[in-house]
Amino acid sequence: MVHITGWRFGSINYKAPTWRLWGEEKCEGAIYTVYLKKVRYHHPSRSITQESDDDEISHLEWETVRVRFLKAGTLEKLIESLASDSGELESTFVNVFLATYRTFSSTRQVLNLILDRYLALTSSSNKINVPSHLREDHKKALRLTLQVWLDAYPEDFRDPPSFACLQQLWEFTKTYLPDTDLNIKVGYKLEKMRREEDLKSSPMLERILSCEEMRIHCSSPMSNGNHQPYEFLDIPESTFAQQLTRMDTVLFKGVIAHQCLGSVWSRRDRGRGDTAATVTATVDQFNAVSFRVQSTILVDTELKPSQRARLIVKWIDIAQELRMHKNFSSLKAIISGLQSNPIYRLKKTWGAVIKDKAELYEELARIFSEENNQLNQRELLMKEGTAKHAQTAHANDRHLPKALEKLAINPLATSYGTIPYLGTFLTDLTMIDTAIPDTVANGLINFDKKRKEFEVLAQIRLLQGAANAYQMERDEMFERWWDSVLVLDDKEAWRLSCQIEPQGSSAPSSTREGRIRKRAQFGHRKNDSIASTSSGSSSSQFFFDNDSLNTPTSHNDTCSLERKMSTSSSSSSLPSLDVSVHSGGTSASGRTPERTSSSQQQHVQQTTASPYITPDFYIIRVSIESSAHEIEGVNLYKSIMLSNSERTVSVIRKAMEKHGFEGNPEDYTLAQFLPDGEMLLPASANVYYAINTQYDLNFVLRRRRHGDENTIIRRNPTKDHKVRKKLLVT
Amino acid sequence: MSKPPSDKLLTFKLVVVGDGGVGKSALTIQFFQRLFVTDYDPTIEDSYIQHTEVDAQWCILDVLDTAGQEEFSAMREQYMRKGDGFMLVYSVTDKQSYENIPHFYTQILRVKDRESYPMLLVANKVDLVHMRKVTEEMGRELAHRLNLSYIETSAKDPPLNVDSAFHEVVRIIRDSPPVDGPKKCNRKTKCVIM
Repeated sequence: MVHITGWRFGSINYKAPTWRLWGEEKCEGAIYTVYLKKVRYHHPSRSITQESDDDEISHLEWETVRVRFLKAGTLEKLIESLASDSGELESTFVNVFLATYRTFSSTRQVLNLILDRYLALTSSSNKINVPSHLREDHKKALRLTLQVWLDAYPEDFRDPPSFACLQQLWEFTKTYLPDTDLNIKVGYKLEKMRREEDLKSSPMLERILSCEEMRIHCSSPMSNGNHQPYEFLDIPESTFAQQLTRMDTVLFKGVIAHQCLGSVWSRRDRGRGDTAATVTATVDQFNAVSFRVQSTILVDTELKPSQRARLIVKWIDIAQELRMHKNFSSLKAIISGLQSNPIYRLKKTWGAVIKDKAELYEELARIFSEENNQLNQRELLMKEGTAKHAQTAHANDRHLPKALEKLAINPLATSYGTIPYLGTFLTDLTMIDTAIPDTVANGLINFDKKRKEFEVLAQIRLLQGAANAYQMERDEMFERWWDSVLVLDDKEAWRLSCQIEPQGSSAPSSTREGRIRKRAQFGHRKNDSIASTSSGSSSSQFFFDNDSLNTPTSHNDTCSLERKMSTSSSSSSLPSLDVSVHSGGTSASGRTPERTSSSQQQHVQQTTASPYITPDFYIIRVSIESSAHEIEGVNLYKSIMLSNSERTVSVIRKAMEKHGFEGNPEDYTLAQFLPDGEMLLPASANVYYAINTQYDLNFVLRRRRHGDENTIIRRNPTKDHKVRKKLLVT
Repeated sequence: MSKPPSDKLLTFKLVVVGDGGVGKSALTIQFFQRLFVTDYDPTIEDSYIQHTEVDAQWCILDVLDTAGQEEFSAMREQYMRKGDGFMLVYSVTDKQSYENIPHFYTQILRVKDRESYPMLLVANKVDLVHMRKVTEEMGRELAHRLNLSYIETSAKDPPLNVDSAFHEVVRIIRDSPPVDGPKKCNRKTKCVIM
């Protein structure tokens, strides 16, 4: 019953007709996935148009080769796999390895293994299984790996004060690779890092340096000798968006991608914090933006709704600018701020926001809809990630296309990078880390997991590169304003919000809040591919289940109850009724359904020990009487908690409430379904003690009719009267 | 297992909340894992949606788990607003995560502007017996105080109560009174008269 569509495998398109999964191959310390790949061995002479039809091309021009990918292996095997058998640098593998090795090893360990292998390749020993004519190639691959490592992850080697790894590498290259590019590079890096470290430890120097930086960036378009501090409403949206983007750019480019990995970020010890400091910094900035949205709107409690609405509109306009800048981080922070409870609940204020801007807000908020696993946001990032400008509008958007048009016809429009909302990546990486084991087959490092993680890291790094396109001037005045904004904590924000619009006066507007239970109309596009699970009880809509009705022998009481009731209700006139719940004060079974009906018995074994112990009440299920053909698929029974002091009237009242009935409880009766009929509960009964707990606690609520008072057990209940029903479409 | 009806199923949006590191993601992954035994891709649009049968009624469960984003505190209320029901998860090995539960609870009620809302208190990682710092009594006491059901779970193999927890939230949602105001008010008034 599992359907999966939309498979995506690593960085290779396995669906391409030239690739075929062949199988797995195991050897000492490694498992490989093997693919067969069609490659052409004749020099291509055909035109490009013909090339698209891979399958059509004559077999004569193709041969099949085996391609192996390391699926899992020991650390030593991983190091060996940095180069192919023939000694070529496996650049994809190297990239994945360097991006992720910290999750299963350390800089020192990897460096030692690489250097050891290099020495082993140099010596003529047979310790290594590489033919002598290929050894130089293998060595070259290792040198290249070290170079890539130093260039792409210099921070791995920033280990003051001794810089032990870099020092070790320096000595190694001095001895074995004197005057090579690698030797020079290592020497340069070592010197640079030492110098930087010296600077850091000298507060005086640092101060001079930062002063210099100040001078460079001091030009503020707003300052012009005028030292009046900024007022929120006076800051042009464009300035605002630029300054936020400038801050975000610095932070985003500073993110060390592998700090986002699930094993680093979500498993870190929060007390220490510095293992993922660059990620924490972006999170802090995000929150800082949201908090400022809150405080600017809330802090002056005396404002009229229309005045406060202007503040909201200001933020919407800034958000729109950020959208144009493709700064999704601060954009989401503003939307989050506006949707945070203290702001969201200000009904009167929102009511004073002009329609146009409210629409714009909805458009912007839609980008971050969590529907379909953040589909909107993901698609947008795909489309615009490395594009020059914002360019994509949702089909229903009215405002964005206009702004985009303006942008498109402006030849002077600067090109922008993209700043993503980092949180989505963090969740994806957390989920990958949780879902896929670190090791397989007795401790081999699961390198397929690393490939998966690398897909996400590569995206982050790609966007980081694109973020270089941002060229924003620093505005000191803005920063001063920014730092001066009061930040409210949760409680304070809530208190002010309630002061502005007291609680009770601000029920969430029904349009935005949405109904609590919605039909699946919003079109999960892959409805038919959603996998299905069953909680075990399969057949309680037995009135529509021909199989169970046609079973000639009744295995137990429930089944005979089914039969009885179905025969008595000639035209399937009983409501759907759940048969499975019996909740006991007698055992530990509590609220978890015990499956008792015949057709359910095959599933009984699936029931695990119930976590609930609820000794002093029962959960009963109450259905209502109605004609069944109208209500197929609609939830008609309701569970009710029955305490040991409840009289019939109060239970009926509860049942009516659950079913959405109005009226006098005394106009209704309550009866328990029993194998041989129904037991009507007398009006004054204590239901807890009156009911028959030998059987399923299933009840029917129906309108009182003449004569009910006299019959306790009624056989063959008839359904000839009309029950006024109001179905709760849940 | 009976077949899920093809259309018109109810969708329940279930939101998993709790501190970072309490194993939220492990619960979600465990619940959905049969979907991706061969290959897991967290980015596809229906990664966290599945048809589920609870008490013989099919529904669509749409789970929102923002594990990894806990510290973006400002956006928490935004996604809470979307939930029809909640799992409040703490780890029995982490006292702080237990103590933070009332905060999530209050936040949800405020966001929903209601006095109660479908929620389930989930004590996770009960497999780590020797590291346990929050006892079952403490868990039940908290559940009682907040008037919530309580369940103990472990996502470690063999999983304990993981499916039950998700299904229980569905039950709680189904059993909760309807939201829409006016009708309820009428009824209340009538109740008072009687």
